[in-house]
Amino acid sequence: MTEVLFPQLSDQDPDGEGVLATWFVDDGATVAGGELIAEVMVGKVTSEVIAPVPGAIHLKVKEDDVVRQGSVIATIS
Amino acid sequence: MTTTETPATTATAPTTSARRLTTAKAMVEGIAQEMERDPSVFYLGEDVGAYGGIFSSTTGLLERFGPERVMDTPISESAFLGLAIGAAVEGMRPIAELMFVDFFGVCMDQLYNHMAKIHYESGGNVRVPMVVTTAVGGGYSDGAQHSQCLWGTFAHLPGMKIVVPSTPYDAKGLMTAAIRDDNPVVYMFHKGVMGLPWMAKNPRATGPVPEEPYEVPIGRAAVVREGGDATVVTVSLSVHHALDVAEELAADGIDLEVVDLRSLKPLDRETVLASVAKTGRLLVVDEDYLSYGLSGEIAATVAETDPGLLRSPMRRVAVPDVPIPYAHPLEYAVLPTRDRIREAVHHLVRA
Amino acid sequence: MDDSVRMNLYRTMVLIRVFEEAILRDYHADKRPAFDIGAGLVPGEMHLSAGQEPVAAGVCAHLTADDAVTATHRPHHLAIAHGVDLEKLAAEIFGRETGLGRGRGGHMHLFDPQTHFSCSGIIAEGYPPALGQAFAFRRRGTDRIAVAVTGEGAANQGAFHESLNLAALWRLPVVFVVEDNDWGISVPRSASTCVTSNAVRAAGYDMPGERVEDNSVEAVYEAAGRAVARARAGQGPSLIEVHTLRMWGHFEGDAQAYRTDLEGVPGRDPIATYEQALRSAGLLDDGQVKTVNEDAVGRVEAAIDFAKNSPAPAPETATDYVFA
Repeated sequence: MTEVLFPQLSDQDPDGEGVLATWFVDDGATVAGGELIAEVMVGKVTSEVIAPVPGAIHLKVKEDDVVRQGSVIATIS
Repeated sequence: MTTTETPATTATAPTTSARRLTTAKAMVEGIAQEMERDPSVFYLGEDVGAYGGIFSSTTGLLERFGPERVMDTPISESAFLGLAIGAAVEGMRPIAELMFVDFFGVCMDQLYNHMAKIHYESGGNVRVPMVVTTAVGGGYSDGAQHSQCLWGTFAHLPGMKIVVPSTPYDAKGLMTAAIRDDNPVVYMFHKGVMGLPWMAKNPRATGPVPEEPYEVPIGRAAVVREGGDATVVTVSLSVHHALDVAEELAADGIDLEVVDLRSLKPLDRETVLASVAKTGRLLVVDEDYLSYGLSGEIAATVAETDPGLLRSPMRRVAVPDVPIPYAHPLEYAVLPTRDRIREAVHHLVRA
Repeated sequence: MDDSVRMNLYRTMVLIRVFEEAILRDYHADKRPAFDIGAGLVPGEMHLSAGQEPVAAGVCAHLTADDAVTATHRPHHLAIAHGVDLEKLAAEIFGRETGLGRGRGGHMHLFDPQTHFSCSGIIAEGYPPALGQAFAFRRRGTDRIAVAVTGEGAANQGAFHESLNLAALWRLPVVFVVEDNDWGISVPRSASTCVTSNAVRAAGYDMPGERVEDNSVEAVYEAAGRAVARARAGQGPSLIEVHTLRMWGHFEGDAQAYRTDLEGVPGRDPIATYEQALRSAGLLDDGQVKTVNEDAVGRVEAAIDFAKNSPAPAPETATDYVFA
């Protein structure tokens, strides 16, 4: 099982919080390696999250949830 | 909640395995695939390079295609929109971005007196195959000079096609069609449908988008929800609000048909008339100003074809003829919100 | 300068003047006794370029049909000097189906894809599209250029300044030409422009600027030669201002009551001046002057006959050609 982490977007505030802005896949969906799975934001910096491996994805947070950078947002098995 | 599209009026519906994109990303993908296919396509505007467009209209394009094809311009709308016209006249396919449609005042001459008229004035001898992209719409307190839609103003003037996508699927398909069209096409994208992380968004701002290039025909509306009790004709972000209201009211036994115009020029009057003929009741929801615009045009379409189609007077929900206010409660009093739509539907079905 | 170049400059100017005189004649012929601007074979506004021939002849002598020219509401001299077909030009002015725009554009909206010529009735707005044509030429790796022409009044319009900045910034192969004929309709330059020469403004946009003071076709030719060479060599834009002469009104029907310099106008006719210079140089005699004039008249009258004998566009086609 692979953990997908909220990316580190802020150098000044590495433990700071951001938001899970958009999920592009549903909970339980099969994703391909390299597929776009989410868009996140810290402050006004946005980032795309790509699936590191293929598999079935389980979403651990909801859209608009406030999330700490580096924490787990999904798992792929 | 899914959007259903009548096959006769749309391009092929998305494949079942289509991945999802935001409207912004779908728009960018449309541009990128055309830039890949046709070396004469290039994009210019303010902050479209490294910034990726202030509403994410060009994110990633500079990295992929380089500064020769994705160009930041000075704040010189007349000059760079005019430059796009000259390049188009010479056979290139420029995409020029007017950052906010509200800025049209500083460059409208190049658009409506030149871009839109050259083909006609030259008796068809000179073509202007360019796209003007521009951000429209309010709802986030950007005030009177940064929140307008103005598609009525543009559609009123001859010689420009006008497209207004509401979904990611249409955003990519209409962009592809716009770039390939040999005429000037104004592509108006509402900031609220782009799916931007930093602005409140409707869940429909993300949706299925085929990976391969495809076109959505310009000039064809889509019936995005079938229903028998009343027709809601609308465009852009208001499509989503209308669908939200339709879902709610279905529980009350009111069955709305929602028509997403998608193009304002050419205008698909046939789809509007067919729907009104079916339901007998018409509501137009338009985030542009009420008077002398799109909603009046839809009314005229019905009135001059057959006013007898209507069982009751039509209704319009639009921005009243006031500058869009800054303060949140004031702004939301003038926008065509779900509350206003719901109230109008109730009046319509009770009349 | 080659004698053949001189003779071509002279012939071009005579052709332009003969054409403008013919249009003047036919424009007014059926608007009598009282002037009705919408009446007659050539209705509408008419802005003729008598006196401004040196600008057109001197600049366009350096161009080929592959180079672009954008002009103003007073475009005929530039169209003719740049090689636009005389018959199609005349037919468009007469609003006929055989005209450049099938009668839809008229005298201020002439478009000729063969010579990349276009003009616009909106002051200064012909500058930005010229940038785009230059951009396309350069992007394709050619040494083709765009010449953008406006009047001195246009040098106070926003699009003028935006265009100069962008052309210099992007090093586009453009030659900006300003025809200073002293009058923006009825307003003299001294009442509209904070500087006495727009060549000064060129420096503000990081490009060379020259002012030709005496409406001399050879001086224009020399200055244009420099600017065109710069552009073709990839060195970017230049600005040339020519102090020229509007011999007639801003438009036909303009009584010019405001004009304080009318008495001196005939004496400043640039064609008479150049003819005298060529005579003195032994290049022209009475016979040659007559021949050049007759050739021009022959060509112009043939073009106008073509126009007059061409059909008017059918009213049912009025909404055709909006979209491709």
